[in-house]
Amino acid sequence: MAKWRQQVTKWLVEKLDLPADAMMDLPRITMIGQLHIYIENHRGVIAFSKEELKLRLKQGNLVIKGQEFVIKTILPEEILLEGSIEGVYYDKAT
Amino acid sequence: MKKDWLEPINSYVKVEIRGEGIAELINACLAQNISIWNIKRTNENAVSACLYTKNIKGFRPLLKQTGCKIRFLEKNGLPFWAARMWRRNGLILGLAGFLVILFLLSNMVWNIKVTGANPKTEYQLLNAAKELGIKKGKFIFLLPNVRQLQQQLTNAMDNVTWIGVSLNGTTYNFQVVEKEIPERKKALSPRHLVAKKDAVIYDMFVEKGQPVVAPHQFVYKGSLLVSGYIGKEGKTKLVPAKGVVWGETWYTTNVTIPLETKFQTYTGSSIIQHKLNLFGLRIPIWGWKDGEYKSKEVSENETPLKFWKWTLPMSYIKKEIRETDGVKRVYTKAEAMDAGKAMARKEVRKLLAHDAKIREEKILHQSVSNGKVNLSMHYQVIENIASEQPILIQQGD
Repeated sequence: MAKWRQQVTKWLVEKLDLPADAMMDLPRITMIGQLHIYIENHRGVIAFSKEELKLRLKQGNLVIKGQEFVIKTILPEEILLEGSIEGVYYDKAT
Repeated sequence: MKKDWLEPINSYVKVEIRGEGIAELINACLAQNISIWNIKRTNENAVSACLYTKNIKGFRPLLKQTGCKIRFLEKNGLPFWAARMWRRNGLILGLAGFLVILFLLSNMVWNIKVTGANPKTEYQLLNAAKELGIKKGKFIFLLPNVRQLQQQLTNAMDNVTWIGVSLNGTTYNFQVVEKEIPERKKALSPRHLVAKKDAVIYDMFVEKGQPVVAPHQFVYKGSLLVSGYIGKEGKTKLVPAKGVVWGETWYTTNVTIPLETKFQTYTGSSIIQHKLNLFGLRIPIWGWKDGEYKSKEVSENETPLKFWKWTLPMSYIKKEIRETDGVKRVYTKAEAMDAGKAMARKEVRKLLAHDAKIREEKILHQSVSNGKVNLSMHYQVIENIASEQPILIQQGD
């Protein structure tokens, strides 16, 4: 059922040009150079260290790697991370 | 993001969180709607983060759930800052108190100096000044200004010619010029009595001396009335002539009375406004009403405020608004004539001595032009015309 619904939404997004983040609960990630990363639509923190931030998403995880991480702000659906960001990876594992 | 702006206003604390379930704790905070920011890993199992003080109560149970421990690192925000400042309240209050006291003392009367007066006048002057409010310890800005003081004091004291009032810092200086009342000379030297002005002799009463004129006789100014030489010829003796010679004299005065006169009178209602002049900006302290008078007279009294020895760019202004009433007085011609006569009589009276009498008054000329009545009055006056003229005795004569 869930799978089917996802299929429908994906089809709608593609055919009707609807914003994907809103329709499919995908993260919207804004980066300002290496300095800031702003992630909306996350589902909580899994791990946090100086070099790594692991966020839970609706599907899978998001891993951000870099140096000197500081969580500037964290709200239920948004997070602003500061530091020198080296990479953003998607992790399928739940 | 909006929370950042409120950081300095709301009090917040920086804490160190120690434990394994830090990520869980953060998630729990999000679920409970507890703001947490500036999360920074400090070492393997500790992070530092900021929290609002008001959220700490709700934060504690989460710590227990996740098995973390906190340690307070810093207290920030306005309430904490104010509390820190308040710990030094003695110093701040003392400083503020000192400034206030210094300011008040700089605007007080500290000394009253009187120069040029004898002890009696000085005592009277100090009493008169006390009645006007000049006492040690009074605030200068509440007293009338120097010019008014000078006028009021000079009026209040009748045995001084002039009082100069100056304000030198916190000292009032009174400079007094006393009236010098010359002592009457008791010993009379030999003299004649001569006429002060042209007159007809009306009556005379001679105490000493030889009268040389008789009643109804016309005399010119300077003519001899009573001689200081008495005794028979050849055995004359010099005496100071003394007596009163009443003569009829004549005066003419011209007065002009307008038929219509506008007066300004006070109705008695007034408003006092107190203001502070700060760098030319007038800040009302007390009294905002303008009175809304149709016609009014405004007087202002400005006193500069001082601090130590400097005059501040501030001054205290007392503004008085008095309601005036325009009164129009209209004379008929007859009334104007009466008023003119009264005025002319007053004017003549000013020229005469106390014992003189006005015997008769006559209108010489009268005319009305440009809404004015012009009167020319003639007066017959009985007055003492005797004036003393010393007799000079040449030595060796």
